Amino acid sequence: MTNGSTRNRLKQKVKSHIPKDWLTEIRIAYRILIETIKGIVQTGFVINLAIITSMAAILLIFGVIFRTTLSLSSLVDEMGGTLEISVYLEPQADVNSTIKNIKKIKHVKNVSFISKDKSWNDLKREIEMPDIDNPLPDVLRVKVDNMKNIDPIMTDVKKLPDIQDTGYAKDLAQKVEVVNKISHTITLVVMIVSSLLTITIINNTIQLVIQSRKEEIEIMRLMGVSNWYIKCPLVLQGAIYGFLGALLAVIPINIVQKYFQAMHAHFSIPVFGYAQGLVVLSVILMGVIFSAGGSLMSIKKHLQV
Amino acid sequence: MIVLRDVIKQYKNKFALYNVSLHINPGEFVFLVGSSGAGKSTLMKMLYMEEKPTRGQVLVGGINIANLHPNKIPNLRRCMGIVFQDYKLLQSHTVYDNIAYVIRTMGISSKEIEARVFGALKVVGLEDKAKSRPSELSGGEQQRVSIARAIVNGPPLLIADEPTGNLDPKNSMEVMQILEQVNQRGITILVSTHDHAIVNHFRKRVITLENGQKIKDVQAGTYD
Repeated sequence: MTNGSTRNRLKQKVKSHIPKDWLTEIRIAYRILIETIKGIVQTGFVINLAIITSMAAILLIFGVIFRTTLSLSSLVDEMGGTLEISVYLEPQADVNSTIKNIKKIKHVKNVSFISKDKSWNDLKREIEMPDIDNPLPDVLRVKVDNMKNIDPIMTDVKKLPDIQDTGYAKDLAQKVEVVNKISHTITLVVMIVSSLLTITIINNTIQLVIQSRKEEIEIMRLMGVSNWYIKCPLVLQGAIYGFLGALLAVIPINIVQKYFQAMHAHFSIPVFGYAQGLVVLSVILMGVIFSAGGSLMSIKKHLQV
Repeated sequence: MIVLRDVIKQYKNKFALYNVSLHINPGEFVFLVGSSGAGKSTLMKMLYMEEKPTRGQVLVGGINIANLHPNKIPNLRRCMGIVFQDYKLLQSHTVYDNIAYVIRTMGISSKEIEARVFGALKVVGLEDKAKSRPSELSGGEQQRVSIARAIVNGPPLLIADEPTGNLDPKNSMEVMQILEQVNQRGITILVSTHDHAIVNHFRKRVITLENGQKIKDVQAGTYD
């Protein structure tokens, strides 16, 4: 038995298991794929390369900035976790009941008690102190779940009885919060600009493709080729550019991620477990979705089908 | 097969068609004649919905296509064969690919496509040109390829807009003979032309348009 006849028999066997309607759909999908590949080949190697590298550059910038923001968020979360509110108690304060009351406040993670004697001994160990009575109050250290909740928690704590004063490293917390906000804003702006650039590049490319194939598309249309059959390869062509650009961008992004991981390890800042995957997935999705969108916009504008 | 009822097509202040009514039965061969600007092409374009009537009904196969949703226009066009004066062949494709193009988009198997394409090529006598590109063919041959493409999907109706407009008398006659053969297979044919010799030779039904109006409709007629 020859290879050809074996292949044909195998083909027939596979075909017999596929319902007829599916076969039609599969053939149409195959034709659309062929048309898409033809479209890419017709566009030419140099133009294809230019488009893909431009897309890669845009997506790389987005990916790196997104990754930086994720690391900054980790840092902010970590700092939020280490920042504590110091609650100074009145001498007659009922410590246990105050701890209970503070624990009831929302976003409080933990409350620990430091007696005035311990504080005084610690202080005396660090600095040479004159022989005077212990002037320090009992202190409660309140840990919060997120830095942004410090202010409202402090307000609530101050309302409780037997509280002399409260305090925390406000300046540092505020600065970190500002940096976090700025990084989020930059990511959002970069994402919007990258999306617009992606859409514009693909929009112009597909416009060129449509112009160069205008006559062919006109003939297809007059011969009764479905509108979506004409549109699909163009949308896919855009999406493929986006996908390939994203794949190209993922290589340097992964290198950058390794540096971030090393930095996290060095400063003992935990990083989201999904950060790496999230950045890669976002870059790919952004490349594909906005490129396909750019194609669709171009089709809508330049193709009267 | 084709019914037009009081069809008007108006472009700004000019009427391209004015109150045109006609009835073409299945299997008929009809010439649509008239001088340039008489409204022939507008009427033909209306049949494949490249133009919409301003008023009136255009029925193809019993369906009023004037109200057809734009998404359904490709379906309508696939149900009819269309032949153009300038052939409208894809120059970068072979004859085979040109003819197979539309049926490929319908998900038909390659075996069936091959059978249909060679069947159509046989009708137009170009079986040996399947691998040629349109640029390697004469004008007459290119128009025959265009006819093969029009009939490959087995349409009940074929409309040809000035199919001999770019051809010499000999090629024109050959193309018309092929259309006559196609008609003998039961396909309704509507040909717009201003070629007197052809119309007078074939003695088919002749509908004459002048200034957008139907002025004559004669069985076995001539072109005066």
